[in-house]
Amino acid sequence: MGIVSLLDAPETTPNTPQVKNRRTRVIAVIMALVGLFTVFIFGFGSVSKAKSSLTFDPINLANAPIKLGSLTMPVRWTDIVLGLLMIALGAEVFIRRPRRAVMLRFGIVAILFLLALLFWAARSPGPSVISSVNLTSILVGSSATVMVLVFGSLSGVMCERSGVVNIAIEGQFIGGAFLGSMIASTTNNFFYAAIGGLVIGGLIGLLLAFFSLRYQSDQIIVGIVLVTMLGSLSSYLNLEIFTPFPNFNTGNIAPNLPIPLLSKIPILGPVFFNQSGFFYVMIILVALVSFALFKTRYGLHVRAVGEHPRAAATVGISVVRVRYINVVLGGAIAGLGGVGFMATQGQFQVGYTSGLGYIALAALIFGRWRPSGAVVASVIFGLSVYLSYDLVTYQFPVSIYILQTFPYLITIAVVAGLIGRVRAPAADGQPYIRD
Amino acid sequence: MRLELRGMTKRFGSLTANDQISLTVEPGQIHSLLGENGAGKSTLMNVLFGLLRPDEGEILIDGEVVAITDSGEAVRRGIGMVHQHFMLVPVFSVTENVVLGFEPVKSLNRVDYKKATEDIRRLSKQFNLDVDPDAVIENLPVGLQQRVEILKALSHDADLLILDEPTAVLTPQEIDSLMEIMRSLAAAGKSILFITHKLKEVKAIADVITVIRHGKVVGTAEPTATESELASLMVGRDVKLIVEKSPYDPGEEVFEIRDLVVLDDRGLVAVNGVSLDVRAGEVLALAGVQGNGQTELVEAIVGMRPVLSGTISLHGRDITNLTPRKALDAGIGHIPEDRQRDGLVLTMSVADNLVLNTPRRAPFASRGTRNLGAVNDYAVRLVHDFDIRTTSIKAPTSSLSGGNQQKVIVARELSRSLEFLVASQPTRGLDVGSIEYVHRQIVEHRNRGNGSLIVSSELDEVLALGDRICVMFEGRIVGTVEPTVSRESIGLLMAGHTLEATNV
Repeated sequence: MGIVSLLDAPETTPNTPQVKNRRTRVIAVIMALVGLFTVFIFGFGSVSKAKSSLTFDPINLANAPIKLGSLTMPVRWTDIVLGLLMIALGAEVFIRRPRRAVMLRFGIVAILFLLALLFWAARSPGPSVISSVNLTSILVGSSATVMVLVFGSLSGVMCERSGVVNIAIEGQFIGGAFLGSMIASTTNNFFYAAIGGLVIGGLIGLLLAFFSLRYQSDQIIVGIVLVTMLGSLSSYLNLEIFTPFPNFNTGNIAPNLPIPLLSKIPILGPVFFNQSGFFYVMIILVALVSFALFKTRYGLHVRAVGEHPRAAATVGISVVRVRYINVVLGGAIAGLGGVGFMATQGQFQVGYTSGLGYIALAALIFGRWRPSGAVVASVIFGLSVYLSYDLVTYQFPVSIYILQTFPYLITIAVVAGLIGRVRAPAADGQPYIRD
Repeated sequence: MRLELRGMTKRFGSLTANDQISLTVEPGQIHSLLGENGAGKSTLMNVLFGLLRPDEGEILIDGEVVAITDSGEAVRRGIGMVHQHFMLVPVFSVTENVVLGFEPVKSLNRVDYKKATEDIRRLSKQFNLDVDPDAVIENLPVGLQQRVEILKALSHDADLLILDEPTAVLTPQEIDSLMEIMRSLAAAGKSILFITHKLKEVKAIADVITVIRHGKVVGTAEPTATESELASLMVGRDVKLIVEKSPYDPGEEVFEIRDLVVLDDRGLVAVNGVSLDVRAGEVLALAGVQGNGQTELVEAIVGMRPVLSGTISLHGRDITNLTPRKALDAGIGHIPEDRQRDGLVLTMSVADNLVLNTPRRAPFASRGTRNLGAVNDYAVRLVHDFDIRTTSIKAPTSSLSGGNQQKVIVARELSRSLEFLVASQPTRGLDVGSIEYVHRQIVEHRNRGNGSLIVSSELDEVLALGDRICVMFEGRIVGTVEPTVSRESIGLLMAGHTLEATNV
């Protein structure tokens, strides 16, 4: 069960409608409360003539054949409408208690809230220097963070579905970013850098698998040790290699590969079709992992091993082998994510993954151990991480450090069972001992 | 399939778990393997199913010597196993569980669920199993889950089915329908190896009975043998199957529960307004299929679980919501359902476990220091009196057999002055000899004029011990009957029927 083990409900808990309904209603109330907050604090809380403008044009206009111009939004009324929308969604969940896609609705409310927050922060007259919200540039800007989180949580899905908690994602990011920067700087080729990331991530995964499968060590502890080790090792190597030989860390940024025509679509084009190769690989990986896990024989074996390893073993499935494969593959995916992160940020710097690996784990839980859910969660968390930095430029009155706790707060709420029922694979984090 | 085992021997270190075991199962035959816990039944089955390697001996299938190296090989040879603890993934559907490891695939390695579902429907119909392929395992009752296990074995074209203690978790009605299924499987030519320690079931279903003791075959018997013949063969000495009780002569009421409501771990109502009373010199047996609130009721009585409403009183004194320590001090003895979790500290010595409920009291401690001499003397006496088989009182309790671990608990609880005994599944997993012993201790406690509440899902135990029997279903007492009623009536009550409907 991994990091949820202390808080999660016992695995034997059957899915009783009574519990489910009550929890669904708790989510509904939370959604409505967020809506009310938006209506009264952001809506009525701003002066009636405050305006902010909403822009859709990308910063790099060369990509946009169609110029969209901007909309002037009256902050008070926009935020009241957004708040009412959230309340409406909350009411819908409260009354209809839908069985599916409750988390998706919650995600929509979270995004509406962030939007309302932006309009309010950019209001003019107000404390902000900038009075416009550039939707496209926010989406493009946050897509780098979202991408890294998707890679990380996909890695988590691979490992945890087979019953091994990979808390070393952060370490695999660091390893991938470090080696990726070195390879990209010397060869000037991001394909080789990606290969390097896959290898180093896979090797770290192999270490985790070796200790937790061969010696049945506590997976969390091994994971933490690996992160700490890679953090320190990267500082040391940074000092010994990158500082004296800056040629090894020149700070290339991977070129965007715009897809003809599609990249010209307003808003969506720059976000989805004018990205680096890493972004496209990520999209393919999400589809691939989803397909493999839920449609193929391999996926059925993986899920069985993660839920009830002994049952899998009695039908001739090698639990240890499945886990080795998945942890190494998962590690490789996270390593690739590390290279992808480096490719959007440039130069390797010590500590610049700043806990994204842990947020990816949170996204994995929020996304209920499903690739699709992990993507939704990564978008919400990625946006909020990006905005927490972006809001500084709006003279936002709350410290960014407080804003950065947002993903963790959501995760605690999810893990504590406040929002919906999350259930980890039953054997997640538990060593398998043959007898 | 004709299966023959010749001279199977399996050793674990110095222990010989299976010693030259030979037996033959003919096609279409139900062959019972009868033996106490620890006699080596499970070891033999694990060898046969490829989970363990034998040290000596041969396995012959249809006259041909085969080497079964892993469970996959066993399955390919037509051997199917229904494990005592089901090997089913709770969150998977029936189909996913049945095909696991043997999936029909389409292009791109995709599992062909459509074909699989059809196959399962067909098999389920053929053997009258009545299983919905799309149901999710965790939503199915235990009896149906077991049928999924059987279906799983059949879908792998098993010709020999090994059923390992299959009735342990079933209601009497479910046991009946399992027997019916077993008969129809045998009629269809499947061989069945039925492992159990329950004499009644063996007599009801087996064609041939092989009895093993201490890893050796000690004899074969016909199902016409009497239960006491089988029992003495199994245990190696004469066993009294009926507990001798002094005549029922209840005294005044000592223990009373009124309108008790208790929640389970999920916050749902588990005990829903239970009222009962126990009188001096009486054993009140609480029957019921596991999971109908008995566990929560017992935990509430001994202070391990908060009471939401209602009262519990002992000799007229309110003992509702006491802490476990205060409940012990009030004179309640507790034999817990899960002895390894709630009854013992396995890593501690036998002596320490024997004083676990009174470690701070004189003579075992004074002024905050333990008096180890007194503890040891006491332990030596109890080990002798209760015939606990251990190498030393200092040995860790984990080194004892299940029966002896239970004796440690019984010795501890019954050796102090007790007002009231609460025992939950007191003989679960014990062999006939130990069951006899534990039952005798409980009855002696009763004969001394004390009250007891015995919770059990074993019908035999309930009938043997109870002076009155309450049946619990979905958190309520659905009926209180005399121990003279038929097994069928209690079985119906356990399945939730009311007294009127069962015509007691």
